[in-house]
Parts: sequence; C-alpha cells; structure tokens
Amino acid sequence: MSEDVFREIDRPWRLWASAIVVGVLAFGCLSGFVILPVIQGYQAGIDPYTAICRSLGILPGSPAARQPVSTAPAAPVSQVSWGPSLIARLNKPDAARGQEIAASVCAACHGEKGLTADPAQFPNMAGQSAFAIYKQLHDYKSGARANEIMQPVVADLTDEQMADVAAHFAALQQARWEQTWVRAASPQVETIVRTGDSARGLPACESCHNPRSGGPIETPVLFAQTKEYLALQMQAFKSGSRKNDLYRRMRSISEKLTDSEIDQLAQYYFEQR
Amino acid sequence: MAARTEHEVLATELRWTIAVVASVALISLAILWAGLVHFINPPSNLETIDPTKVHLSPEFTEANLGTRVDEGGRVTTRIVTAQFAFIPPCVVVPADEPVTLRLVSPDVIHGVLVTGTNVNTMVVPGYVSQVHTVFQKTGDLLMPCHEYCGIGHSQMWSTVRVVPKAEFKPGPDGRALCEKP
Repeated sequence: MSEDVFREIDRPWRLWASAIVVGVLAFGCLSGFVILPVIQGYQAGIDPYTAICRSLGILPGSPAARQPVSTAPAAPVSQVSWGPSLIARLNKPDAARGQEIAASVCAACHGEKGLTADPAQFPNMAGQSAFAIYKQLHDYKSGARANEIMQPVVADLTDEQMADVAAHFAALQQARWEQTWVRAASPQVETIVRTGDSARGLPACESCHNPRSGGPIETPVLFAQTKEYLALQMQAFKSGSRKNDLYRRMRSISEKLTDSEIDQLAQYYFEQR
Repeated sequence: MAARTEHEVLATELRWTIAVVASVALISLAILWAGLVHFINPPSNLETIDPTKVHLSPEFTEANLGTRVDEGGRVTTRIVTAQFAFIPPCVVVPADEPVTLRLVSPDVIHGVLVTGTNVNTMVVPGYVSQVHTVFQKTGDLLMPCHEYCGIGHSQMWSTVRVVPKAEFKPGPDGRALCEKP
C-alpha cells in the first residue's frame, strides 16, 4: 500500500484522538476552575467570581470556605528585617568608619580590641557575628531591647553606622571555632548543648549557635563570652524582661531551663575559647 | 491474536481508546463527586507573605498567634513555624467545629501534621499554608515538624489541645490560650 492510503486511513483517527485530548483538557478545566469552585462556593456563601479566582490562584483562599480575616494591629518585638541591602551592607562595611565609631563610642566599656573592661557588666564583642551585633544595636535604638546604658549610646547612630561598627567587631577574631572543646561539667548540660532534649522540646544550643549550623542569621556567637552576661540574658529571656528574640526562640528555650542549667551553660560557653 | 488487517488494528486501538477515556472520565467523576458531595478537595490557598517581614506583619505578630475566634464565631489558629519551635508551643481548639489553621515560616521549609487527623501540610517560606479541618477527638495531640529543617528538627514539636465545645472558652478579645503548655 502506498503512503497516501495510510494517511487516508489515519486521518479520522488523528482527528478523533485530538478531539478526545482537547475534550479531556476542557472537561478538566471546566470542572476544576468552574463547576467545583462555583458549587462549593455557593454552599459556603462565596460569590462565583471570587470562587473561580480562588481556584485559579488569583485570590488567596479556598473556594470551599470563607477566608479568615485578621484585624490585629502589628506589634513586632523587633523592627529588624533581613533584606538584601542590609545583608550586603554588613558583608561590605566601611571598615574605617566602623573602627572610628568603635574607638570613640564603644571602646570604653567593650575594650579597644572588643574584650570587655568589666566582665560582670559588659559583654565581649571580638569575633561576635556582625548580624547579631547589628540586630541588638538596632533593637536598642528602636526600643525593642531596653538598656539604660546602650539606648542613649546608639540613639545617634544611623543604620549604616551600626552596620559598620558591627562588622568592625566581627572582624576582630578572638579565637577560632575549630579549637578543642572543653567538656561540660555535667553530662546533662553536654546533652543540651550537643543533642538537645526532645522530651522537653529543647533544641540543642549548637543547632543554632554553631556558626556553621544554618540557623537564624542573627544568632550570636556564644563561645568565650562572659559567663555573667550569658546567664543574665538567659534569665532575662526566662522572666520575659528581654523579649526582642524573633519568634520567641530564646524565651521559649530559657523558660524550660532551670537556674542551675542556665549557670552551667553560661560557664560552659565561657570556657570554650 | 495477531492483527491481520489494517481494520483489525484500528478496531483494537479503538477499544483501548474507549477504555482509557472511560477510566479518565470515571476518575474525574469521582473527584467531582468527592468535591461536591463530601467536600473533599486539596487545600488550595495561594497566598504570599514576605518571609523577612513575618514578624512585622499585623496578622502574624506575636500577640496575634494562637487560636482566635472572630465576630462571626469562626475559629482561626495562627502558628509560626520557625527554626526550631512552633509559636505558640501549644494551641487550644474546640472539637466538632470548623477550625482554620494558618501557618507561615520565616526561615526554611517546615512541615506539620497533627497526629490522628487529616491535618498535614508543608509550610514554605513566602507562602501562607492554610488548612480547614474539624477535630473530632479531644485530648492533647502531637504536632511535630515533619520536614527536615535543620539540626534542631527532632526537637521541634508542639501540642494541639482539642477540648469539648463546652470547655472552649475564649477571652473577651476572642483569644484562647493553653492554660498549661
């Protein structure tokens, strides 16, 4: 048989196959985007236009249920938002200006090299994460974190200046993370640091505070921090007097820690250097 | 049976086409039936939210999280899933009543399921995940994160406390909180 004969036999087949495919597609679109949403919307008291838009993903919500509305006012615990321009600024700071601000404003308490003048009162800054320092400076300025000494100090700093000085202290490497770990005094604290406690819903400290863990960007470095400062902050989170941690991360953890665990954890991170 | 003629080939193809179209039609009708009669359909909600500004948004501000009953009596539970905790760590909901769960993530992909119920969704940063459900069993139900989200993933869980309708008592502002998480 010649080519033409085959083509002749195939023609109705091609036509019908195409018609079936198009028909199934049309039936799918009609039922998914029109019939289902309109009837479900009717039962839920939603007008057909909104129901169709929701099924298409143009409007938020399900075509089968009314969309909840929130009338709550925004009351953020911190104004810091990690946008790309802020992250870029912290990664490429004005080093000279950062050093200048650090020397004139910060050095009296936090030390010229970022090491505290009085461990009982002021934390170390050397080697701290730039993101962590920036977040706290910004929170002092916006009032999200209350402190009699720091709030007046940062009042006149711009966002760029805060980023510069944060990056300055971050660049002062105090010690290397890879150094030998000192074991905790009790195995219980070692467990909280390394593996966490599932029964209490306590994630391991290291799941965020290890710089390579991939936790939240504003997580501070804890090692070689003064033990007084660490214990004070955990207690402040526990009592709720400090609440600028996004999504209650540290408040929900500190609430579950006993006073003895807080002291031991502070001691533990103080000893890592 | 070997096809001998062109017509036999055509007849076979036609038979199988009918079988395929009938199967597709049957499945489509089953989906339509489930959607229209039993209200079963995938949780469709295409709603975006800037993950870097979740804490600045009015709806997911800390004081608005948890269960809230609006003026119309509708129960909505808002939860933030963040590395490595649910906020709030315990939510209370009434039994035998429609509840809408709204979840957002500010950091990485999380997932939630409420054990023993049909609640099971991923929480993708940038989107609001929404689930409509009715809790039938009362008691404390475990809600773990079921999408690996980092080193603290296995410590990330929370409680859904389903209480009988009579015991569900929201405050004057419409918020209902777990008494003891």
